[in-house]
Amino acid sequence: MIQKLKYFLSDTSNNLWQHRMRNLFSITIICLSFLTIGIFLSISNNLQHLARQMSRNMAVVLFLDPGISDTAVESLKKDLTRSPHVSEVRFNSARQANEDFQEKFPDLRKIVENLGENPFPPSLQVSLHQKAQSSEAALNFIRSFSGRSGVDDIQYNREWAERMQSFSRLAQAVGFFLGGILVLASFFIISNIVKLNVFARKDEIEILRLTGATNTFIRTPFLLEGVILGVLGGILSLMLLFLLIRIFPLYLGASMGAFRDFIRFRSLSFSQCLSLILAGGFIGFLGSLSSLARFLKT
Amino acid sequence: MIELYRIWKQYQKPGWALSDVTFKVAQGDFWFITGPSGSGKTTLLKILFREIYPTQGQIIINNRNILRVPDHKIYQLRRKMGIVYQDFRLLFHKRVFDNIAIVLQVLGVSRKEIRRRVFNALRLVNLHNKMWEYPAHLSYGEQQRVAIARAVVNHPQIILADEPTGNLDTELAFEIMSLFNDINRKGSTVIICTHDRELIRHFGKRILFLYKGKVLRKESLS
Repeated sequence: MIQKLKYFLSDTSNNLWQHRMRNLFSITIICLSFLTIGIFLSISNNLQHLARQMSRNMAVVLFLDPGISDTAVESLKKDLTRSPHVSEVRFNSARQANEDFQEKFPDLRKIVENLGENPFPPSLQVSLHQKAQSSEAALNFIRSFSGRSGVDDIQYNREWAERMQSFSRLAQAVGFFLGGILVLASFFIISNIVKLNVFARKDEIEILRLTGATNTFIRTPFLLEGVILGVLGGILSLMLLFLLIRIFPLYLGASMGAFRDFIRFRSLSFSQCLSLILAGGFIGFLGSLSSLARFLKT
Repeated sequence: MIELYRIWKQYQKPGWALSDVTFKVAQGDFWFITGPSGSGKTTLLKILFREIYPTQGQIIINNRNILRVPDHKIYQLRRKMGIVYQDFRLLFHKRVFDNIAIVLQVLGVSRKEIRRRVFNALRLVNLHNKMWEYPAHLSYGEQQRVAIARAVVNHPQIILADEPTGNLDTELAFEIMSLFNDINRKGSTVIICTHDRELIRHFGKRILFLYKGKVLRKESLS
């Protein structure tokens, strides 16, 4: 068994080296296919992360009348705090809102100053418990405040989070669709490259068959070849993806402004990386198997 | 023991390549199958190692009907045979050693044992000093001897050779035939297809004459 394994490994590595240009071509194609899937998976990961973060920090903001009395604010605060959905209520005065804005956007300070008055209303920032963030009851509770006196407007970012999640799903679907087509292409390319390798070694296969080699013995080096090509393509695509993830934020950095800290590019998870590599190996295996089936009938 | 019983073979073209061929080969026999070109010698040999199927008939080798052996088990039969072709069928990108070792690698024999057996097989054909050469650097006669070494390295029960001296001059042909004789003396059954009457006259023990696919006659010389 060990002798056979040694034979397979040396035979496979010899073949890979002998037809290196051809094999490099197939690795490149597999790499590009998986890179496409990887890029879209990464985009989807980022959008999902963003959506999660938005819902985690889902703050409901109740914008109040500028002239609201302190007692009315206190009463609102008390009513909100009493709800089991609410974890924290924080009052933000108009002055505080103005200062916060000027601190975050110093370039826009002059515009606010030119207005001559503070355009920011006072507000109550309500944080919800994690469980309540997606519950309809919590939402209805918040909505019930819209008619209360002193409350001007209510804003919550749940819809944004949901939209982000559907974008993430869309990115994933597009990635799998485009990647799927490319994976299919790489399947045919591997299949044809292995077929060429089989043709190149037709005589050897013939001799092996007539000297009593089993089909498994003849097939194994070719299957190994396909698997190695697939796995190498997968690994290369992940390396390129990591490189892209490192370079892309640097490229975008200058134009992202205030969002720079908000968007952090995330690479694929360990299980996603492993799945991509295994999928590469599997595609290689299937590609080889399909091209060998016709050759080794007897 | 090899028994061929009423073998008929038709290819896609009209006419029979073999018609009603019946003969028996006992263990340790040395047979020549002869006849003019197109008489069905190669077809008969190919049927014997089941590279092709006969259209009709039965072949029993060691009490087993080889036509009933499923494709995935045919390797068991071929491991008991050594086959020598007229065109040698050597792998020119591999050294002499690797060309012969391939038969043993199939069986999972250890590297050390492979070296020993390949060396012995090459010594038998007097080529042990060319073990690490490439076949392209050898003469025709030497290449054919490598093919014979490959056929005998696994000590097969049956040696089948298709025109093994077809490309060689008389002197080399006699040398090669002496080798087959030696192999036969060690116990292997040898079946050789040839149209070289001189060789048959000199080495022939049992002869099957084919003409247009039919057995013309069988002869046993003492």
